[in-house]
Formats: sequence, C-alpha cells, structure tokens
Amino acid sequence: MTTRAEFLHRIRTEMGRAPGLVPSATAPRPTRPRERLEVLRRELSERWRESLERFAVEFERVGGVLHRVGDAEEVPGVVARIAGERRARSVIAWPGATLGVDVTASLVERGLDALAMPEAEVTPAERARLRAVAAAADVGVTGVDLAVAETGTLIVVSGAGRSRSASLLPSCHVAVFDREALLESLEQVGVALEAWHDGDDPTWRGAAINFITGPSRTADIELTLTRGVHGPREVHAVFVERGLDVRRRV
Amino acid sequence: MSEPDLATPFRERAGQALDDRFLQEALTIATTKFITLRREAFDAFPQGEALRDQARAIKEATLQRLDHWLEMLIDNVERRGGHVHYATGADEARRIVLDIARRTGARMAVKSKSMATEEIHLNDALEAAGVTPVETDLGEYIIQLAHERPSHIIAPAIHKTKGQVAELFRRELNRDAAPDPEVLTQIARAELRQKFLQADLGITGANFGVAETGTVVLVTNEGNGRMVTSLPRVHVAVMGVEKVIPSMTDLAVFLAILARSATGQKLSVYTSLVNGPRRGGELEGPEEFHLVLLDNGRIRQIAGPLREALSCLRCGACLNVCPVYRQIGGHAYGYTYPGPIGILLTAMLNGPGSVKDLAHASSLCGACVDACPVRIDIPRMLIELRRELDEQRIAPWPERVVFGAFAWLLQRPALYRLSARLGRLLQRPLARNGRIRRLPLFFGSWTRTRDLPPIAARTFHERWAELEREARR
Amino acid sequence: MSTPVRASLMITCLADVLYPEVGERIVRLLRGLGVTVEFPAGQTCCGLPLFNSGYHAAAADVARRTVKIFDEAGYVVVPSGSCAWMVKHEYPGLLKAPAARAAAARLAARTYELSQFLVRVLGRRRFRSAVAGRLTYHDSCHLLRGLHEAESPRALLTELGGVELVELPGSDECCGFGGSFAVRLPEVSTAILDKKLANVEATGADCVVACDAGCLMQMRGGLSRRGSRVRALHLAEVLGEPA
Ligand code: SF4
Repeated sequence: MTTRAEFLHRIRTEMGRAPGLVPSATAPRPTRPRERLEVLRRELSERWRESLERFAVEFERVGGVLHRVGDAEEVPGVVARIAGERRARSVIAWPGATLGVDVTASLVERGLDALAMPEAEVTPAERARLRAVAAAADVGVTGVDLAVAETGTLIVVSGAGRSRSASLLPSCHVAVFDREALLESLEQVGVALEAWHDGDDPTWRGAAINFITGPSRTADIELTLTRGVHGPREVHAVFVERGLDVRRRV
Repeated sequence: MSEPDLATPFRERAGQALDDRFLQEALTIATTKFITLRREAFDAFPQGEALRDQARAIKEATLQRLDHWLEMLIDNVERRGGHVHYATGADEARRIVLDIARRTGARMAVKSKSMATEEIHLNDALEAAGVTPVETDLGEYIIQLAHERPSHIIAPAIHKTKGQVAELFRRELNRDAAPDPEVLTQIARAELRQKFLQADLGITGANFGVAETGTVVLVTNEGNGRMVTSLPRVHVAVMGVEKVIPSMTDLAVFLAILARSATGQKLSVYTSLVNGPRRGGELEGPEEFHLVLLDNGRIRQIAGPLREALSCLRCGACLNVCPVYRQIGGHAYGYTYPGPIGILLTAMLNGPGSVKDLAHASSLCGACVDACPVRIDIPRMLIELRRELDEQRIAPWPERVVFGAFAWLLQRPALYRLSARLGRLLQRPLARNGRIRRLPLFFGSWTRTRDLPPIAARTFHERWAELEREARR
Repeated sequence: MSTPVRASLMITCLADVLYPEVGERIVRLLRGLGVTVEFPAGQTCCGLPLFNSGYHAAAADVARRTVKIFDEAGYVVVPSGSCAWMVKHEYPGLLKAPAARAAAARLAARTYELSQFLVRVLGRRRFRSAVAGRLTYHDSCHLLRGLHEAESPRALLTELGGVELVELPGSDECCGFGGSFAVRLPEVSTAILDKKLANVEATGADCVVACDAGCLMQMRGGLSRRGSRVRALHLAEVLGEPA
C-alpha cells in the first residue's frame, strides 16, 4: 500500500528534477472574501433589475422557465398552477424556513399531496422513507442561493432543510428566489465560493453545492438533444420581487 | 462496428474504421457539430482567450507546487470527514476501491462518467469481486451494455445509431422500443433510476479537486453525477493527481472555459461541488467519502517530456478538430484515451513503446493546440515521443536506416544534387504525361491513391545559373 | 526605394526537385519588385522531415549547416510555410551552442514565407492575375497555426485583378499531407485529402491556391488521380505582374 508520505515523496523528487519552469501564477484570490462579497452584494443591489433581465434571457436559453411574482404569498399559486398543468399530484418542498415562504400548507389546501422535507436530523429509516417519497414526487420545490445572470445558473447549497433530492429526483423542479440571490458573473460566483468557505462551515450547511443550468440533458444518442435523462425534465424559477423571508442565507 | 483489438496493427484498425460507412458519417456529423458549437461559444465570449491563458497559467503554477496543493487537498478532505487513499498503479487503485466495496458490503456500484476509472479498468475488477458496476451516463451505459469502450471522451457512444441502441435495449433489457432518442432515453432513465436507489456504492472521477476547501468537483449534463454522490451509502472519487487546483477562484476560471470547449455550453447543466460525506441534518449524501489519488504514470511526467499533458481538462475539443480522429474515431486508437491527447496519455500510462505506431497517427496540423482550452502543445509532445522511439530504437530499423541515409545526404550538397539526377533516370519508365501513377516499395503508399509529380527535367538548382544570367541582362 | 532590398531564396527540397517553376516565378516576381535575389549555394532541405519524425540530432546538423549557408543573406524568402516555420520556430531550439543559437535566432528573425515577405516586408499586395477564373485558398497548417498567418495570402488574392476569390469551407483544415504521415498512414491521409478536395470542388473554383509545397503535392496528387479539372497552384504561380 502506498502511504501518503511515499506518494508525496515521489512527487517532490520529480518536482526537483523538473527543468527550467516558466513563472506562472494562480488566480489572485480576494484577501477578505466575506467583506468582498458584502461589497459586491451592495453594488449589485443597485442594479438587480439588469441582472434579472440578463438572467431571464440566459435561463430561458438553457431551457428554464421564469415566473415573476410580487409577493412571497403568490408562490404556492405558481407551484399549484405548474403542478396542475402537468396533472401532477405529489409535491415535495423545502420547509418555510429555508425556502423563505411556506408552500406545503397552501398546496395541501389546494388538494395536492405536498410534503415539506424535515429540517432536523432524522433516523436512517426515516431518511430512506423520505427518499422513496422524493423519488415518487412529481414536483420538487427548493430555494436558490445564487442565481447567475451570465449563465442562467441556479446555485443551491445543501444542508438541514435543504434537501438535494428536491432539485434532482422529481421530473419538475421549481426554484424560488429573490433579488438577493442575483449575481452577474461566474467570476462573482468565485468570490461567493471563497466567502462561503472562509472559516468554519455553519452547522446547518451540508456537503454539496450544486450548480444547475437548465433541465437535465443528454445528446448521447445521435447527438439528439433530449431532456430529463436523470435529473428534472423541467426547471422553473420563480422570482419574488418583494423578497423572501429566508431564515438562514448562505 | 465491432471493436478491433490491439493484436490488429494500428494501420489495419484505422483501415477498418475508414471502411465503416456509418462510423464515417457519425464522426463527421458529431465532430462538425462540436466544432461549430465550440466556435460559436468562444466567438460570443471575448474574455475567453484571456481566460484560456489564465487557466493554463494556473495549471502550470499548480504543478510547480503540486506537493503543497495536494497536501492541502488531503488535509482538507480529511478535515471534512473524508478518507484519502494513494494509488501508484492501476492495480493498486482497483484494490483500494475493491477493499472499500468489500468492507462496506457493497453489491452494486453506480458510476458517473469517469475516464480515470476507465483507465484503471475498474469495472472488470468490480464484476470479478461480485460487485455489479452500472455506468449511468447514458452514453457509457449504452457502451457498457454493448461491452465496448468509449469512442469519445465526452460522447462515448457517438459511433452508435439510434437503431443500434434500440436493438441493444431489446436484447439486453428486454425492452421493445422505437429507435427514437427520446423514447430510448426515457427507458434508460427508468432503468437507471432503480439502480441509483439500490446501489450501495457511488463511484466517480473528479474534474477538479480544490485544495483550499477539500472539494471534489464533478461536471455532468445528465445529473448522474449528483445522483451518484447523493444517493448511495458510500462515495468513492478516483482522481488523477493533476486534477488538483488551488482555490475556488481558480475553479471559476476553469468552469468558464470547460463546457464551452467541450459542448459549447456556457456551463454544463450540473456542476457539483462535493465537500465530503453527509452532514448532520442532511437527508441525502453518503455516510463515507473516499478520495483515491491516482498516479498511474502521471507523477514521473512532472519532470518528463509529457509534463504539459498534465494540464489536460479532458474536454475532448482536440478530438473534434483532429483530422485523424475525425476519420478513424476513438476505437481504432485501441486504448482508453482516444484522439491526439489520448496518444500522449496512453504513452504516459503505458510507456512510449505502447504508442510506437500511434505516435505517428498525426499530421501535426496543430488544430488541437488551437482548440485546447489550455493550449496544450500536443504536436510538440508527439514529436518528443517520436524522438524517444528513435533514440530508444523502438522505431523499426528500416525506418531508421531510411532517415539516416536521408540525413547523411542532406549534409552533402553535391551528392544531394546528384541523387536528383539519379532519380530522374530511375523514374523514366514510370513517368507518363507528367505524372507518376505507380511506384514500388514504400513509395507505393503514396501512389496507390495519389499521383506524384516526376522529378523536374531541370531542378531549381540546375536553373539558377540561367536565372542569374537573366538578372544581368 | 533607397537601398535595394536583398533577399535570398531558400528553395526547399520539394520545390527544388518537383516544382522548380515555383522558384523561378518567385525569382522573377521579386526582381520585378526591385529586390536583389540571391541563391546561396549548397542548400538542401530545412530538415523538417527529420525533425518531425523525431531525428533531432540529424535535424540539428542540418539546421547548423543551413544557418551557416544563410548567414550572409539579407531577408530569407521561403516558398513553404512549413519550412519557414521550421527555420523560425525550431532552429534556435535545436542548436545548443550559444553562438550557433544566436545565429539561428538572427536567421529566424529574417526569414519569411513568400506571402508574408510580399505583404509584411515589401508592403506590396497588388498584382495582376496570372490565371483566369475562380480561385479559392487553402490555409496550410504551419503557415496558419505555426506562423499565425492567415491574412497575407488572402490580402494578395483579394487584390488580384480579374479573378474571383471564394472562401473554401474548412480552409483551415489539414489536407492530410503531414510529411511522412502521408506514407505511413496513406489510407487516413487520403481520406483527409478526399474531404479537402470535396470542399474545394464544392466551391466551384478553377484553382486552389496554397503556400506550401507539401500541401500542393498532396492536393495535386489527389486532383490528378481523380482526373479533376481543378488545379492546385502555388501562390507564386497566380501572382503576375505587379499592378
Ligand atoms: S488536450 Fe486540451 S483539448 Fe484535448 S481534451 Fe485535454 S484540455 Fe481538452
């Protein structure tokens, strides 16, 4: 078995033998990424409308559908409409605290089979059960931590009350966001990622960060673009103009 | 087309590919499409060129402190509750994965597309150990069912028609389906959905490993990468050591050019950043996370002639533009990695002797360098490989004799000019109407499909005196 | 022009033996522009075939010789992009001794492929056409990607009076020559060529122009074998009197 020491030793030996190297630099990182992100956010809050318009164009270009509502209370209606149009019955959703609006109660009232995923640690048996529910669900409702205008990308951080399955297993994903999530570019995403990883992770944060740029797709058979191969076939984003009440922002 | 094996000489393997009419058509359509998509993506992205330079610089800078960044990656993965393993060769890498499978009692492994696990031939080993490996990238799934190898780094099944896929599904899955990509994809979705939910083990490669954060990054379009890293109990990522990058800022640079180069997308649909096993409060995520750092010939290239190839992102752009790949496709190369970069990676993995024919499977046209997001100078390294083959006398002796004689002649201008005259005599019975249609020996390789001009009645050297007189007049 | 420009022709092995008329035309063309043309004795081949096949010690010997032969030359004009690339790009690296390397670097700096010499050094881009009909242009790999030259030949061809220039689809794609590649893997080489010639024929051009003797040998060989009416010509063969 090769050990860490042996492995690294071999690497160092070879590095020592490498001839005349061109001076090269890695990308310059922000020194205080959290502060940098704060400043960036303040700047962006001035021009969120432009960001949103750009996001709308790019998101639609990658096959997403954007919905705009004024208030958070309108979100369940949008979800119900989407479900109705697809004759979908079962919905799983992030809980109100992480989503910023409670959708399940209202969906149940509208006759849908809606379930909010738990926020606290549950038993393995319960996890298995919930996974089966998620796998059978038609619609998954999640929040969005970042919406990237340049690429039409939704970035979603996993964690407590932030089920990964909700944006993955159902064939229709509905993501809810507000202006605070908007970023302009991938470069800014770099800053956000630096900031998120600066210092210890908050306990509620999970192990996965997923960038989602449109519905799942493949072109593996004769290069024919086909949607929904493993992940959702449809991705909807609901923009809430007057903001969401998310308890813990990333 | 059935896959030719390595017992068949390369030239013959290439010949078979050229004779395969369907393959020819599929290759032209696929590569042309990828080329167009890539070009359009960069045309609409003016900062792309500068980012390519920066990406290359990052790769080089990382390599210059590879030990440092790897240590940081290892420490951070462990800090986040992951386990790191070290594999010198393919056999050791397989053993590590098998041990994990055995210890965790795994019966089925779902895999997301990974060239590194192809490279170490993991599937056969898993199967032999009683663990069923299931490829979940649609293209990989198809070729796994067909018992073939990928023919393209990012589009493994481009050599198959929808009709062939339908037939394959009928035979292997007992599913009757129309030869319609939409229908076939839905069948695969249903089949694989079950596997994702059943599997104990998720196996992936890694597009990047971010040192500062201990993050493994996976890029997919289908979402299988997310499935494999979220649903099974155990996740094993097999990563070549050269995939480490320092920071998230660097990652943003690479992401901006990777998908554009591969498929012309601004970003692939899913980019998954995996920070170790499931955390408290999470519903999904593996209980165990393992990172297998793979050497397999890479480390010795840090100071070797193929060092530059360690910057490769496996985007496949160089395949699409390579005139040779476009004619013969991936299988004819005979190894895991096809195309121009594949020749270098094959040499890296198996030594220069393994590419004694492949090293010449390039016209050195340089289209790959232009397309490569990190501007890897593939032709230069192919020439380096050829040099190694000559110097280690792996190249066949007749070739070495011919080149030796040619070199000798070039040092002797008088004889060199004389040889033109000699050639003129020899060609006399062969030249007709100002062209030669057939030549003996290896010259015949040319004239079987192309005419050759005869040596001129008077060479330029022989005309110069006259031209000089002309000037004086 | 105050002092006459002095240029040496590096004829290269293929043009010397197979296409001497190209050399002749270059000499006359340059003289017509007031250039004093020289032809240093003892030239053979630039050594690119040796280099590309990995015979670097032999290629270095050739490079050393060639550098010496052209040491006294003014500009050096080469009818093939690939050979010009060899001299400019690889000679300095092949020669290890500092003096030889410096001499190679000096030579590299003075060496130009023909179209570059005409456009970039002499600033001449207007010529009458020596042929009639419709032309198309093939970018040879070393000129395009090695020397990053796509403009000069096009500038010359666009300004040609009396002919029409049409863009060749996939003009930047290899013709399949690749030196020894063409005989090591003749089937693949020919398949690549077939694609190129199909593109040429689709343009309806009467003539495909290139700036490399290797590409010409390959394309002519294919055109002649298939009995095509299309001709493959060197740039020097289509440039007539200066206009
Ligand atoms: S060599 Fe460059 S173009 Fe080819 S796969 Fe690697 S990164 Fe992509």
